[in-house]
Amino acid sequence: MASVLHAQLATPSKLNHSWRRTLAPDSLASTSSHSHSSSAATTSKGGGNVVSMPIIRCNAQAAPGAVNLAPGTPVRPTSILVVGATGTLGRQIVRRALDEGYDVRCLVRPRPAPADFLRDWGATVVNADLSKPETIPATLVGIHTVIDCATGRPEEPIKTVDWEGKVALIQCAKAMGIQKFVFFSIHNCDKHPEVPLMEIKNCTEKFLRDSGQNHIIIRLCGFMQGLIGQYAVPILEEKSVWGTDAPTRIAYMDTQDIARLTFIALRNENVNGKLLTFAGPRAWTTQEVITLCERLAGQDANVTTVPVSVLRLTRQLTRLFEWTSDVADRLAFSEVLTSDTVFSVPMNETYNLLGVDAKDIISLEKYLQDYFNNILKKLKDLKAQSKQTDIFF
Amino acid sequence: MNSASTALTPSIFGNNNLCNRKWREISLPHSSPPPGNGVRLFVTKATSPSSSAPETDKKKKGQLKRKNKNKEKDDEKQDEDKIQASIQQQQQTDLSSSTSSVSAIKSTLDDVNPVGLGRRSRQIFDEVWRKFSGLGQISRTTRTEDDESGLLMREGGPMCEFAIPGAQNTTVLVVGATSRVGRIVVRKLMLRGYTVKALVRKADQEVVDMLPTSVDIVTGDVGESSTLKAAIEGCNKIIYCATARSSITGDLNRVDHLGVYNLTKAFQDYNNELAQLRAGKSSKSKLLIAKFKSADSLNGWEVRQGTYFQDLVVAKYDGGMDAKFEFTEDGDAVFSGYVFTRGGYVELSKKLSLPLGSTLDRYEGLVFSVGGNGRSYVVILETGPSADTSQSTMYFARISTKIGFCRVSLLTLSKGKQNSGATKISFYMFICTIFVLITFSLQIKNMHVLIPPFLYQVRVPFSSFRPVKPDDPPLDPFLVHTLTIRFEPRRQKPIEGPTGPKQDLRSFQLILEYVKALPTGQETDFILVSCTGSGIEPSRREQVLKAKKAGEDSLRRSGLGYTIIRPGPLVEEPGGQRALIFDQGNRISQGISCADVADICVKALHDSTARNKSFDVCYEYVAEPGKELYELVAHLPDKANNYLTPALSVLEKNT
Repeated sequence: MASVLHAQLATPSKLNHSWRRTLAPDSLASTSSHSHSSSAATTSKGGGNVVSMPIIRCNAQAAPGAVNLAPGTPVRPTSILVVGATGTLGRQIVRRALDEGYDVRCLVRPRPAPADFLRDWGATVVNADLSKPETIPATLVGIHTVIDCATGRPEEPIKTVDWEGKVALIQCAKAMGIQKFVFFSIHNCDKHPEVPLMEIKNCTEKFLRDSGQNHIIIRLCGFMQGLIGQYAVPILEEKSVWGTDAPTRIAYMDTQDIARLTFIALRNENVNGKLLTFAGPRAWTTQEVITLCERLAGQDANVTTVPVSVLRLTRQLTRLFEWTSDVADRLAFSEVLTSDTVFSVPMNETYNLLGVDAKDIISLEKYLQDYFNNILKKLKDLKAQSKQTDIFF
Repeated sequence: MNSASTALTPSIFGNNNLCNRKWREISLPHSSPPPGNGVRLFVTKATSPSSSAPETDKKKKGQLKRKNKNKEKDDEKQDEDKIQASIQQQQQTDLSSSTSSVSAIKSTLDDVNPVGLGRRSRQIFDEVWRKFSGLGQISRTTRTEDDESGLLMREGGPMCEFAIPGAQNTTVLVVGATSRVGRIVVRKLMLRGYTVKALVRKADQEVVDMLPTSVDIVTGDVGESSTLKAAIEGCNKIIYCATARSSITGDLNRVDHLGVYNLTKAFQDYNNELAQLRAGKSSKSKLLIAKFKSADSLNGWEVRQGTYFQDLVVAKYDGGMDAKFEFTEDGDAVFSGYVFTRGGYVELSKKLSLPLGSTLDRYEGLVFSVGGNGRSYVVILETGPSADTSQSTMYFARISTKIGFCRVSLLTLSKGKQNSGATKISFYMFICTIFVLITFSLQIKNMHVLIPPFLYQVRVPFSSFRPVKPDDPPLDPFLVHTLTIRFEPRRQKPIEGPTGPKQDLRSFQLILEYVKALPTGQETDFILVSCTGSGIEPSRREQVLKAKKAGEDSLRRSGLGYTIIRPGPLVEEPGGQRALIFDQGNRISQGISCADVADICVKALHDSTARNKSFDVCYEYVAEPGKELYELVAHLPDKANNYLTPALSVLEKNT
């Protein structure tokens, strides 16, 4: 694994020379094809379980003093590009940005069902694909800040978007003189190199730092929004809830709060080049979250607890075969789960730096309570309606 | 399991997996009465929309069969947690696949169909695997494309931080939707769930791309009142952030003055039209109390004299007083005279006769259209039994009038008439045109003599009336029967201006055009983004401000609930970063971000404290030492705290 990443990390640095020579899109295309082939060559070797920190020698100083392609027209500081705008966090970022008066452009993959909701809110949608680097430069014209909250979908190979795409995006941003690059990473990603996604995030952080691009890296722990689909809805629907007995604690945070803090950080010149970690007010285990949901919903959950050891075993098994290596990657977090990690950081310093009041950050209890109150009320209304129709018929 | 809730939950939550979606489809038409007693759960799910009466027996058989099958499965259930879950899944898929076929019998046959079994087992495996591998995730929410709409519904609903309760039933017309402030206003409104109409001059691709897709774009021009009818239809509120593109006087007048006037008129017309459909009177139109347009209209108004002091000593200082109320040959009703007696006053009084069915309690104040030489007057309202005036209670409020004549605006208006007339006239009428032009210019010359004094509106809310005897209860507009306008030489302030120092404060002249009652309302109807004048190039500042002022005035006298926002020079930067100052009296000097102005517009829509207020707003700044003249009210805009209400509640109304 490490060797794979190592090879990939080396490619961009090599390619930077060609980057420096020309900025024409065709060279970019060749860049992508090159790195594609190299990754294709190396992934076949993939699945090796050597876990060590790769030495990164990618110095992106190849593009000195950001080449501004349009020196005549100054870029307005309110124009931002959001990558991954349809995601859980991305859409909150877009909403927040629009409400604060930014002109938001969203980089969205071309697909049959376009993300109409973004256009409905007033954002501009441009079609591009991080896995096709030749589509990137056009989207960056006239952009002041890039906010990157994209992550590849679980069903697709993790490297195309999360590594190659990101590298291309950062190089492009650097070359086109983007003023600020905000990158979302995962907390503790430097401590778990055995998990591919975390390893990639860690490498991207390093690549960004070495690129010389003005940036902010924000590490996140967990989203409260994810808990709704995972626990709250199944409990309300009286279906079985799957949980682990892992002792891992995660400080879940509301994505709306993350978006708010992100923009405060974005405007704060003191944060430039720093690494921030956003964590919720309290760290929770899975069991605690389920108990909380049960209490708020007023009904017992049908909990199916899967021991972490089973997960781990499955991962070990799936790693034996090449054709199940993707599966193994998806289960990789089980390694993190078995460890007694706490995904949380004290936030006082960050609050002080950003000038935010800790009271304004919503707690998980409050969040879930609001959710259940609203849903239960809606349910009651709907029930009343359905009763009426019964009588009517 | 409650079938109703089961059936309804999927439609709310928007489910993640395939099985559930199928389940949703079938379980929705469950309104037909459940035939079984013990097997209700299955019946509910198995009832297909196409099922008819003869089939019910067969179906029952099928259900029984399956029930047995389920019983068998129940025995296995004790084995292991994992298996249990998978069987539950199987039951679900079982049901969903069976019911998607036409009849229940067929579905039982499907159970033994190897292809169906294989498919089902795969579904089960996929589902279990999805859940299982989901456990290995930390912060990634796995989501398929299809449930996007479901999630959106959830986020747009109660969980959305921006959603406002009143937004769904409110349609807002944004005028100047492509302006710096307007663009952000539109986005903010969309995020909050309002229905938005945007008035644009030309709906070309560039403009359409700039606006959110579900905004209703209407083409029209505020300068052309005929184009506004379609735009205003269905709107409850207006946010006006259009501004003239140039500082040419004609352009300024068209957008900043006439535009506002036309739009208020169109809005009032629309409200009246709606009210007529309901066979009523628009709650937003004013009530005419008195209009002085002919000599007859002066009937019923009584001129009286009096003194506050009853003792004889005063008589020594009696310099005499006189007053008359007459209709001049210029067409003005003038109340004029002098009061030299110390403690004396003259007043003009009338018993009110309101139209049948209207009472003053549905109104919140009076508006006087007046002119004159700038004295202040006391307006007195009498309440109580109208037959016996000795029992009536008196309430008073002081109004001050301004001096001034406005020749310019009138002249430009007649010029406008000339132009529009000229364009309509064809070649054959060319000579006639010249003739018309000559007559017009002659008229204008005459008008110099005939120009009526500049009339303007003084708004007096009922809340500002105080009882003459402090012990009396506050004014109840319902009981008002007499209106009096009193002049007294006390507390008159000399006015700066061309009249010079020679003015005698004991003489007065008051020109009255009309007295109307202003309708009450909770919220503002019309938000106008004006400007303070700082930041405009000095040579054109006066013209710009004059046009803006005229627009503001036409809004104030329309009777609509208004909010006039006068921001400092606009800055294009994100909002919500710096504290804001709300002030009245043109004292601010700082700029403000467009986004903050937009935020104030949107917040003011449902804020009762914003109704009928004009205010200046800018970023907070540190006053120079020695110049801290007034207390600053600074408020940091943020989603959590409503800064607007406290900031505006200290500001004066009806300004």
